[in-house]
Amino acid sequence: MIGLLSIAIFLPAVLAAPTFLLGRKNPKMAKILGVGTTAIVFAISILILVVFQYGQAGFQLSESLPWAGSFGLNYKVGIDGISLPLLMIATFLSLLSAAGSWDQITFRHAEYYALFLIFETGIIGVFTSLNLILFYLFWEIVLIPMFFFIGIWGGPRRKYASLKFLIFTYSGSAVMLFGFLALYAWTGTSAYPGGPSFDYDVLAARIPNLALPLQLAVAITTFAGFAVKLPIFPLHTWLPDAHVEAPAPVSVLLAGLLLKMGGYGLIRYNLLLFPKAVSVLWPYFTTIGLITMIYGASVALVARDIKRMIALTSVNHMGYVLLGAFTATVAGVSGAVFQMFSHGLAVGMLFLMSGYIHERTGTRNIDELKGLRGKMPQTVSLLFLASMAAMAVPGFANFISEYLVIQGALSVSYLFAIAIVAPALTVGYFLWMLRRVAMTPPEGPKNELHLHSILILVAFLVPLLIFGVYPPPILGSVIAPTVEKWVGTIVGLGAR
Amino acid sequence: MFGLLATPAGFLHFRKSKLGLAPFVCILGLAIALVSTIWLGFTSPSPVSFGGFQVDLFTLFFSGVLLIVAIFVTIASLQYMREDPNKGPFFGLLLLSTLGMIVLAASMDLILLYVGWELMSIPTYALTAFRKKDPNSNEAAMKFFVLSALSSALIVYAISLIFGVTGSTGLTAIASTLSTAGPDVRPFGVLAIVLFIVGFGVKMAVVPFHMWIPDAFEGAPVTIGAFLAAGAKMAAFAAAFRVFIVGISAFNVDFYSTFAIVAVVTMSVGNVAALMQKSFTRLLAYSSIAQAGYILMALATPFTTTNVPLGLAGGLFHVLNYAILKTAAFVAAAAVATKLSVTDLNSFNGLSRRMPQTSLSIAVIFLGLAGVPPLNGFFSKVMLFTGSIYSPYSWGGYLALAALINSGFSMSYYGWVIKRMYFDEPGDESSIPEPRIYMAVLWVATILIFAIGLYPDPWIRLVQSAAAALVGSRGL
Repeated sequence: MIGLLSIAIFLPAVLAAPTFLLGRKNPKMAKILGVGTTAIVFAISILILVVFQYGQAGFQLSESLPWAGSFGLNYKVGIDGISLPLLMIATFLSLLSAAGSWDQITFRHAEYYALFLIFETGIIGVFTSLNLILFYLFWEIVLIPMFFFIGIWGGPRRKYASLKFLIFTYSGSAVMLFGFLALYAWTGTSAYPGGPSFDYDVLAARIPNLALPLQLAVAITTFAGFAVKLPIFPLHTWLPDAHVEAPAPVSVLLAGLLLKMGGYGLIRYNLLLFPKAVSVLWPYFTTIGLITMIYGASVALVARDIKRMIALTSVNHMGYVLLGAFTATVAGVSGAVFQMFSHGLAVGMLFLMSGYIHERTGTRNIDELKGLRGKMPQTVSLLFLASMAAMAVPGFANFISEYLVIQGALSVSYLFAIAIVAPALTVGYFLWMLRRVAMTPPEGPKNELHLHSILILVAFLVPLLIFGVYPPPILGSVIAPTVEKWVGTIVGLGAR
Repeated sequence: MFGLLATPAGFLHFRKSKLGLAPFVCILGLAIALVSTIWLGFTSPSPVSFGGFQVDLFTLFFSGVLLIVAIFVTIASLQYMREDPNKGPFFGLLLLSTLGMIVLAASMDLILLYVGWELMSIPTYALTAFRKKDPNSNEAAMKFFVLSALSSALIVYAISLIFGVTGSTGLTAIASTLSTAGPDVRPFGVLAIVLFIVGFGVKMAVVPFHMWIPDAFEGAPVTIGAFLAAGAKMAAFAAAFRVFIVGISAFNVDFYSTFAIVAVVTMSVGNVAALMQKSFTRLLAYSSIAQAGYILMALATPFTTTNVPLGLAGGLFHVLNYAILKTAAFVAAAAVATKLSVTDLNSFNGLSRRMPQTSLSIAVIFLGLAGVPPLNGFFSKVMLFTGSIYSPYSWGGYLALAALINSGFSMSYYGWVIKRMYFDEPGDESSIPEPRIYMAVLWVATILIFAIGLYPDPWIRLVQSAAAALVGSRGL
């Protein structure tokens, strides 16, 4: 039986072939098919929202088919309160990014949109798969289109950036795969009836009985894979290069979705699977998160390129996810999930805007952008709003998520009060950027964006403001029940 | 049963006949052999032995893989050797060597194994030197011949030692004698094992016996590179699997650790050296050395620990996948070689605009070799590495981790070539014709790569049965 989730996952990949073949002769056709497919997939995800049962903690809309049963592989997908918000931003950002590509991608449309659709299949698959090898498969499917996006459509240093991105993340995933295979082998012995398995639910039931050293080995190796994607402080160097060189709509995908894969993996496969290991590792992981937060913010302070500054914002903000998740508290984990949702939207908007600004003014240098108010008054207003979202001003969803993360951290140890330095620095570099770009005397002839571009940018703001003012629909009835159940389980098993 | 082995042989006498016909007869013979192999696999799964031969699923699996390689190589050579006046002997030698490989995979007796080994090797020397006027081709053949002859000598010595210890050349008889061998014969047994490892190692191209590979692949006709890399090498693995798992595993010697060390060194040297290559064929050669390291992990995993020997099955699966990927990679190289130099990676810059189909298949093949899902190389690697983690030895997990890190590292040179083809600017924008014969082979291979990767279940069951047949042929 093919369900809604399978349709959402495979529809883009299936339509990638006609997009490529029809689009080769007629670029407009590629654009229409590409954007149209992402719109259909977004409509399907709205349908998923409708049939989703709120307030429930377990996996819903599950589908299971044997795939390579002789090796314990099943095609297994499902969503719960942790994956639903990410699934929604995946389809939403894909649609907005595809729409933003309409103007910003200027050559080889057929290849671009075909790869775009393959990427969308991968990213939706990552957030919905419930089998470790299936998860890994989608995880890698995301990687290849991204490599080509950066390498073909990127900026001047695209070749270096794409190869660096590929090698960093592929090596990380190879180490992560070791964790998955070890899990299969170590829980596949005769001590565990039912034979070895890669299924998430089977493993979640078996792992608590696994000895601590083995849990630690798996937790550390899988952490390595997720941490490269997230990214954490010493492994983040691929990120500024990749984000800066990628075309702006692809930066939206990178910062908005690709980084979330790391955060989602950390919560789903690292935190929730290895309670005993978490009880040992959480001080280290939260400290790394803290360092990443402060480091990202400090480096963003000195960035001259507006796109580089936004890229480093991601390092800054993804640190919250790591910190929140490994506090293993309901507030911290809910905050981490909500942070991925709200950061994806805010940073996506900023990246797309930087692309538009670059297209109109020909520069991304913050100092050269002075007086932008005169050229693009509406865009500058939107830049204010997006920066406020990223600064976590109350009223935006980002405020609630960052607040929850810090609350969770403080409930574990008062030492995490130091985390407050990060939002302060974030406000610092954003205000300084606005001071130089927007608050300078207006200059130059008016060169405003098209209305449809403005509308695309406004679309990012709508959920940020709605859930910032009134979060219960997402926080209370989607994220919280699932997080409460899982955190309760792992705390019961000794994670704390 | 004889039909399987006789079919390619039966067509050999055509080789001197009308020259235009030879390659087609050759393809026909190979196709008949492949069909009969598949037919035998479906109809009579129980092993049949006669003399030193044993036809079981393991034999049929390997002959299937080798015949696929041979068919691909023959079809590609149709185009590649078009200008060559000596086509007849070329295809004849190819058939003869293929026959030797199948004999090798089927032999349960060391003397027969040696006959198969020589039958496989001798035609390949001539094939490597086929471009008589090309000094590179001759140098490659000379280097290959000297090392290969040395390895044959070592194998003969090992066989004589084993015969001296056990009084037999049949593998099952050897196994039963060795399992009760006293301490007085132990040194001879160990020496024989070492000699076998070195002897097979030269053909399997494991470090430190790999030096001939890059030169031979670079000097030989490109399609023969495919035949050596995917055919001869895999046949050597077939022989090693038979000898070690059927004959020697009963002997209480820890050769697993030796293979583990050799495997790690081989894959690391292969991957690091591949990164430094400036020639496409040499890059393929070093990548094939690295892949041999992965397959060796199957021999480093004791197979008695689980009901289904996962590592061994993964090794066989990787043999199949590697054979398809590597053959296709060399065929792509042959397609490029029609107009450009394959010994200079710079000629691959911007290739995607000049040869779009070839570039696309090279990209797919390279991602498959790197083990990116959902391509075929991924699942065999996963099985191999998981099998290694299952190993009762405490180093099993580290071996798997080392292999995975290698696998991650290998992406740097595979990605490098893809970068050259897709991101770099071509020196010359003119498009290059892509001969249909090559494209046909490449598309079939690409479809196989995707098909095996997307639905691996039947293939996994096949290699599991083949592995079970191999373990079963010990007769213990």
